[in-house]
Amino acid sequence: MLDRRQFLKLGGATAFATLFGGCEKVQHKLIPFVIPPENHTLGEALRYASVCGQCPAGCGVVVRVSEGRAKKIEGNPLHPVNRGKLCGRGQAALQALYHPERLQRPMKLSGARHSGAYTPVPWEEALSLLMGPLKKVNAEAPGSLLMLTEPMRGHAGLVAGRFMKAFGSKNRVAWDPFGPDAMLTANAAVYGVRDLPEHDFANARYVLSFSGDFLETGISPVHYAREYGRMRGDRETVRGKVIHFGPRLSMTAAAADLFLPCAPGTEGFVALGIAHVMVRDRLTAASSTAGRLSDDLGAWSPEEVEKKTGVHAHDIAAAAEEFARNQPGLAIAGTGAASGPGGAFHCAAVALLNVLAGNVGKPGGVSFPNRGQAFAKYGAEASLLAPSPESGYAEVRAAVEKMRGGAFRMAILSGVTNPAFTLPPPLKFNEALSKVPFVVAFASFLDETTSLADLVLPVPTGLEAWGDDLAPVGHAGAITLCQPVVEPFRDTRSMPDVLIAAAKELGGEPAKALPWRSFRECIEMAYGGPGGEMEKALQRGGFFGESFSARSASRSGGVSLPKAADAPFVGDPKAFPLALHLYPSITLYDGRGANLPWLQEMPDPISTAVWRNWIEVNPKTAAGLGLAEGDGVTVTSPSGKITAHVAFNPGIAPDVAAMPLGQGHTRYGKYANGRGENPISLLPAGETYALQATRVALAKTKLSTTLARTGHPEGQWKVKNMM
Amino acid sequence: MTRKQILATLAIALLPLALLLAAGYAFAAETVPQPIAFSHKIHVTDYKLHCRFCHSSTNKSQYANLPSVEKCMMCHRSIATDKPEVKKVAHYWNEKKPIPWNKVIDLPNHVYFPHKKMVNAGIPCLTCHPGMDQAGTAVQRLEFGMGMCMECHRKKKVTIDCWKCHY
Repeated sequence: MLDRRQFLKLGGATAFATLFGGCEKVQHKLIPFVIPPENHTLGEALRYASVCGQCPAGCGVVVRVSEGRAKKIEGNPLHPVNRGKLCGRGQAALQALYHPERLQRPMKLSGARHSGAYTPVPWEEALSLLMGPLKKVNAEAPGSLLMLTEPMRGHAGLVAGRFMKAFGSKNRVAWDPFGPDAMLTANAAVYGVRDLPEHDFANARYVLSFSGDFLETGISPVHYAREYGRMRGDRETVRGKVIHFGPRLSMTAAAADLFLPCAPGTEGFVALGIAHVMVRDRLTAASSTAGRLSDDLGAWSPEEVEKKTGVHAHDIAAAAEEFARNQPGLAIAGTGAASGPGGAFHCAAVALLNVLAGNVGKPGGVSFPNRGQAFAKYGAEASLLAPSPESGYAEVRAAVEKMRGGAFRMAILSGVTNPAFTLPPPLKFNEALSKVPFVVAFASFLDETTSLADLVLPVPTGLEAWGDDLAPVGHAGAITLCQPVVEPFRDTRSMPDVLIAAAKELGGEPAKALPWRSFRECIEMAYGGPGGEMEKALQRGGFFGESFSARSASRSGGVSLPKAADAPFVGDPKAFPLALHLYPSITLYDGRGANLPWLQEMPDPISTAVWRNWIEVNPKTAAGLGLAEGDGVTVTSPSGKITAHVAFNPGIAPDVAAMPLGQGHTRYGKYANGRGENPISLLPAGETYALQATRVALAKTKLSTTLARTGHPEGQWKVKNMM
Repeated sequence: MTRKQILATLAIALLPLALLLAAGYAFAAETVPQPIAFSHKIHVTDYKLHCRFCHSSTNKSQYANLPSVEKCMMCHRSIATDKPEVKKVAHYWNEKKPIPWNKVIDLPNHVYFPHKKMVNAGIPCLTCHPGMDQAGTAVQRLEFGMGMCMECHRKKKVTIDCWKCHY
């Protein structure tokens, strides 16, 4: 027992320790750099211009760097694509840079093939592991090397293209799930140019959007959003009007003046109805085209179109008249219209409206700048630097078939388009890849595709690498330069660097084709080297002075009416009553952003859902199925079955269910894995990569998860929603 | 009063003074141990290097930087390479490790002090860091308090607005 004296002693000692223990001065350290970063001043941030690599839009960025650490990414005000603006996905590139799951060093397979079990190895060993099979393939059967990448632009594409050519293999395939194939086909048919058009929103007075997604996930959302802002009020002239036709109230639809829902896969027919009225009422600028088409268009009266699409005839007539009388105007087809089996028809019918309105090649209309001009000095190789923006689905399908047949002895994978995740499962990509004896992947993260490789080589992120880029639209002729804004954090080497080194070791043709010591040297030699023009261009972010002459966009033979493609969705409407509308997620895009918590926690602008997958259903349809907001459902298509949570969207057609892409990862790290299921597994393996292709049935099921949403269509402060 | 008593009284009377002096001495002479016995005197007084040769951010930034190891080696690759303290610098350089200096000078909390404003206004470094040119490793002989700042700001008729330094 403690007596009084002991208690006082102890208490005194404790008080003393408490009072004076904290008085001891903490010695802080000052740690200077061993070698300071270039132009570094303590406490003063540096800003480096570079290019955003989070999606193919190619926006210019300025990165604020303090003490050698990238802190914030903003748009480059000088860059013609985004003029200082940047989207959430671009901002989140920082998280990829500092990501705890980034590959630190090369990894060699340590378990069974496709097990995803790796051991880190030093670069020397990794390169010898790469060079062994590469030399063997080069000597014995160079044509059996496959290179499957995301679309590579600029000199990275040149290095990869030349490497494959000199190696002796023609099997270079680039895969982009949202490549606008249908639009390119339509543009070739209607405008005579197989390229992406520039849509001049800023000077347009009227826009007809057919499932357009130009404000969220289109070809260049930041560019178009800024131009759209100019059209809607930030200009001296009249405020432009927008009408949106489509099966779902998307963010772009919500920003329109008028949203006219149409049945899924019927956007092209609405356009034909509008064309019919324009021709019938002599509202066209292109009278010769109108005269030629008038007979063919006769079948597409607004009343007929109403039966097919569900859009009222008087709405079609009114839209046609307003569109024709308020020129210059634009008609735009988005991913929703283009990504179905009849996508090329829908896009062509929409493009026809631009021809009839006579706004091709005019301010406020559609034009085709000559992108090839930027790299004209490369002659025949220019297409390696400015490749066509096609998805490459046909090539990927062919390559998968060849893989299965054992045609490839080695495969080089690279890029974030993740074919094992984004290709429909009936294609059996994984199984086909297992037939390739040696697979090497260049990656920053392990994902569903890279974890199938036998050797994974870590690459720097876009913030740590050299490069150059030509944006698909809005570039105004600008080549953007990409420079490391920070010292590489990990033991990484870029794919072009490794290819250049490999070519040296192979000797012969490959070594001659890639004569540089490094990819940086390749870039410097291409742009005049340090100290010259390139120095200034690096400070500004690129070469922004030039502008391309517009390519003439008129077909010699005249335009004919696009052949109506009434491609039905797969599935019996009785067994599968709802048409499935899949759309790219504004945050996760094709799924590449799913491992970044900033993007996972960014609410979807329509459903306000975060961190999980959902299926949008009309509240009336849901009531018929006995589904409540947030309920779990099994989504069944003829090809697959997944589960998701129900999110009501009062602006979706009653016979449509919509799901965003991007979730449902299984091997993409702790932030991405197990957040719902991948809706691509519902798709059939068709001739084209069709996101709008299948019908589904919903059945209520119990899920152990819940759907977190930051808002609620009935008002988020309703007590019952909060309880 | 006996001699003993006188001495005792004196001692008691002088005790506070002695304590004060001891405290003052202790403060003034407080040297912080450093990994390398760098001499400011040799560099500044003997070789007439300007403070900003090493503390180069003082006219460009809020903060005064310490020189990078690379900067030390700019000269010490060839100068005084046999000196034991210089050998230590070379060791850090060869190991590519930063020198872990101990912090000597601290500002009170909640004040914004931009070095560049003072330096660009022509205030000599020694105004606030007296005796640094004669010191070995860094010693701060003036205690930074608001009084010291205010005195100078009043004398030079520059702003004494609260928000200038506290925001």
